[in-house]
Amino acid sequence: MTDVLDSIASAIAKLDPSDSAKALVTDALSQGMSPTAITENGIRRGLEIVGQKYEANEYFLSELLYAGSVVGELFDLLKPSMKDSQMRHKGTIVLGTVKGDIHDLGKNIFRMLADSSGFEVHDLGVDVEPTSFVNEVKQAHPQILGLSALLTTALEEMRNTLDELRTAGVKIDLRVLLGGNAVKREFSSEIGADAAAFDAVEGLEICKKWTDK
Amino acid sequence: MSTPRERFKAVMHFRKPDVLPWLENVYDETLVQWLGQGLPAERVTVIDWEMGRGGTALANMVTVKGFNPYPLFGCQSLYGSLLQVDIGPIPRFKQMLVRESDRHLEYTTETGAVARRSKTGKYAWYSMPMFVEFPVKDRQTWYKYRERLNPLDPRRYPKDWDSDAYIRSFEAYQDGNTMMRFNGFYGFGAEIMGIPTFNMMFYKDPELIHDMIEYWEYFTVETIRSAVETLKNRIDVVYWWEDFADRHGPCISPKLFRDFFLPHYKRVIGFLAKNGIDRILMDSDGNINPILDLVVESGINGLWPLEVNSGMNAIEVRKKYGDKLFLIGNLDKSELAKGGQAMKKEVDSKVPVLKEMGGYIPGADHVIPVEMTLQRFKEYAEYIKPLLPY
Repeated sequence: MTDVLDSIASAIAKLDPSDSAKALVTDALSQGMSPTAITENGIRRGLEIVGQKYEANEYFLSELLYAGSVVGELFDLLKPSMKDSQMRHKGTIVLGTVKGDIHDLGKNIFRMLADSSGFEVHDLGVDVEPTSFVNEVKQAHPQILGLSALLTTALEEMRNTLDELRTAGVKIDLRVLLGGNAVKREFSSEIGADAAAFDAVEGLEICKKWTDK
Repeated sequence: MSTPRERFKAVMHFRKPDVLPWLENVYDETLVQWLGQGLPAERVTVIDWEMGRGGTALANMVTVKGFNPYPLFGCQSLYGSLLQVDIGPIPRFKQMLVRESDRHLEYTTETGAVARRSKTGKYAWYSMPMFVEFPVKDRQTWYKYRERLNPLDPRRYPKDWDSDAYIRSFEAYQDGNTMMRFNGFYGFGAEIMGIPTFNMMFYKDPELIHDMIEYWEYFTVETIRSAVETLKNRIDVVYWWEDFADRHGPCISPKLFRDFFLPHYKRVIGFLAKNGIDRILMDSDGNINPILDLVVESGINGLWPLEVNSGMNAIEVRKKYGDKLFLIGNLDKSELAKGGQAMKKEVDSKVPVLKEMGGYIPGADHVIPVEMTLQRFKEYAEYIKPLLPY
């Protein structure tokens, strides 16, 4: 690993000002490093450290959101030098807040982390009908479907969505991950989802595990 | 026999009352459901005289002021007698529809946010709305917003604010606690900036956060000064709303709390203490365990709701912090709503133990949700009431 990539990872992990991290990325590009190398060995490594610190209760939501926003700025900087073919996707996730619930804070944090970690995320937004999830799954062929709910009153719509997926015959190769404050792990087993995540970082780790070949 | 207020005060000060109080807070939408399920409206509706038509008629008219279902079940409202000191923007932002789609309506709110609600959902008003825009985004918008936060604006106090009359009414009230409430520093910032922006700003523009927090300390103390210096310890408890945690833990780290909040907590709480108000109840959902040492250091000495689903356990908190924190809630609302054995198990696992430990008032670990039917709440009431006397 080169010094500059270590420095990028460290700047993200230490929550340095975004201008410092951007200067390092510009430096790496000027040294002829590929955007893929910068992404994989600098940016994503830094974000992984942030995730580990979050899980260890060393970092909290403020740090997670700030690191995510810095990473977003770094990707914006890299985009002009990056061809689509150079993007290495870890997998595809279809995501949304289920019907009857319009909250999306947790879902958006998860999306930001999943995006930054190399997943292709199809975010259907909030208050999503079960049939819309089914249609998107048929079209995008994701490995993972992420369903979010803050309100306990929306839990039944998670069950309905799972039922619709089974009826449409698209659940077989699809892993379903539940998230949001309303969800308990027992509920996830009860409705036949594959997992429930306690928070966005845990959700991302589950997705990585599922898609690691 | 003690009054509900005497019982509440006894528990907050770690004395044993004759009967343990039991506090709940029911969502308005839950209450509406209960009315449909047979709750007798005539027994829970509060009707009073008031100047007619919002003060436009110099006449006394009978008006529905709201609902009070608590005595019917043998519990008290968490909020008791709440002193109405206005801490919002004055003038208020005008509520109006700004966007509409097939499924959603988006309104500006009184605090200047834009909130979305469902047109089609079964529970359109249930729980918190989804906020899609916030009035404060940066320094410029903060300075603009601050113009509406003048603590000396006389409109912050009730129209009938008269110190002697209020002293007498606060002394006479016995149906529960007497309370003053306001936003804590996180609750204030997140409410006007939104959670993501406010949290990121600790790193992106820490000076702005310092400025906002310093102003909120000044604003809070000066706004409540007249009430605090008038009523003094006739205010049994101050309700300090923060909501600064999720299931994972606090939204801000202990370091940020120490650097940005702690001195301001101490100064506001010091002002209250100087006036004889020594019970400060913090409301924060989520898992606040990682930050509790600092919360205690700040002078906060009560917690509600202690959400079970976020890993809060009142017995463990009591063991760790002893009489530094009185505790309210911690009965898992989703277990209570199931009724039967699930409800009984939840109550039995906590109430008798915590009752003996002291400094604990039972109640659900947040507002009673719409999933709780009237029948189940009655069942819960009948089960918990015999456990309350000492």
